[in-house]
Amino acid sequence: MQPFTYVLPENLSQADAAARQPDTVLKGGGIDLVDRMKERLQTPARVVSLLPLRAELGGIAVEADGGVRLGALATLAELERHPALATPALAGLREAAASTASPQLRNRATVAGNLLQFTRCWYVRSEAFRCVHGGRGPTCLAVTGDNRYHAVMGYSDCVRVHPSNLAPPLLALDAEYTTVLEGKTRRRKLAELFPSDPRGQAPEHTLAAGEIVTALHVPPQPASARTSYAESREKQSFDWATTACAVRVVLDGGVIEAATVVLGAVAPVPLPRPAARLMLGQKPSAALFQKVADAAFTGALPLSQNGYKVTVGKAIVREALERATR
Amino acid sequence: MTVPPDPRAGVSRRSFLKGSAVAGLASTGLTAAATAADGPTTFGPGAHDIVLTVNGAERKVAVETRTTLLDALRDGLDLTGAKRICDRGACGGCTVLLDGQPVNSCLVLAIDAIGRPVQTVESLAQGDLPHPLLEAFVHCDALQCGYCTPGMVMSSLACLQQRGRPTREQMQHDLAGNLCRCGTYGRVFAAIERTAQAGGK
Repeated sequence: MQPFTYVLPENLSQADAAARQPDTVLKGGGIDLVDRMKERLQTPARVVSLLPLRAELGGIAVEADGGVRLGALATLAELERHPALATPALAGLREAAASTASPQLRNRATVAGNLLQFTRCWYVRSEAFRCVHGGRGPTCLAVTGDNRYHAVMGYSDCVRVHPSNLAPPLLALDAEYTTVLEGKTRRRKLAELFPSDPRGQAPEHTLAAGEIVTALHVPPQPASARTSYAESREKQSFDWATTACAVRVVLDGGVIEAATVVLGAVAPVPLPRPAARLMLGQKPSAALFQKVADAAFTGALPLSQNGYKVTVGKAIVREALERATR
Repeated sequence: MTVPPDPRAGVSRRSFLKGSAVAGLASTGLTAAATAADGPTTFGPGAHDIVLTVNGAERKVAVETRTTLLDALRDGLDLTGAKRICDRGACGGCTVLLDGQPVNSCLVLAIDAIGRPVQTVESLAQGDLPHPLLEAFVHCDALQCGYCTPGMVMSSLACLQQRGRPTREQMQHDLAGNLCRCGTYGRVFAAIERTAQAGGK
């Protein structure tokens, strides 16, 4: 790791001011950042730690309207265990947190860090390669290289996938995020955190330089709402998803009244699929779920080594839907 | 014939390296943490003396901002139980308890551990008296090359502390971040079971 100046703010306004200095990065748990700094993929002059602001930016709490506020610094281990997430409506979020990485990492990894982590693409994460990501080179090396874990849809000039486990269930739950920049607080839909036209040169997220995510907000859920999360991977535990799916359904008298399907690990951004609409007014059935799973991968254009993701991904969509309606 | 004394006697590779590291620090000079009247506390980029709470004792150690908790423990405090294997949070060999929770000390900056209790595998022996979990590891033959063992022990300890009498499934969940190339997992689980049955945490 290159030497750097470490800034420990005492309050959010100090963090806000420090984050806007040149050559500065923000750090939460540091899981992804320390890794990249060791690899010299990122060599900032200043690192601003948000950890001293745990009281303000951490914790999980049920809000007055029944929604749940997840502090940006809430750890995945807290999500896994917190009683506020022990409801069928938030089961998908809890399952996604519990299946991420290892216990040691979940004890440090934060909600905001999980959403904002860099892609795991091995060309992007190697100092030895100069690819289009971040403008380091002219082309995407995975398109013609080893692309077994890369995108099958929604890509243009860079076939990275978004690695966040939490993004699909949070999008399925229509979550919002709050940020602070230059003293101004903004609250937006989580979908706005991810670029609508993901390009190699553009970052994985839409935050401005120095913008600090302070919290995620899960809106109140009707009693009949259910979410689930399913993913495929090569190992039973401690592995990244090769495909992932979060679903939210609201059942009314055995009929699906509302439905959302969001795919993870198959595109440069977490991908809500309009195919979910096929379920509206229908009763849950294996045939219906198969139709939705097929439609969710409409337009998929696999690369030379990742065609399996379409087949496996459809099974994962079915599994998520079956679990949510069981 | 008498064997001439080994000139290296008394100087282990470790103490030699440690001596060089200290000399290196001395030449860069220690800088104190600077706090502007109305600004945030800043450290670095040079070295600082910080105090860590390790195994119940306050220990002074010189670190740079980029020094990980693992390196502060091993190189600064001579607590070499936690192992530096992958150094990227992928193997669990460096597992210690921070605030009572297992973490990869290779991904924690030493400065982030200031004021938070750190527990390492060294805490599990009082002189010649080992913790019941260590005894169980020996009894169950839960190690081969032993490199992953300190991390396995600390994750096992956290599992026992949090669950009392964990099921095999819970053990698998809690030890998922510790890799063993010798494949001792089954015996590690047996050691956890043995400790739980004896009521030891």
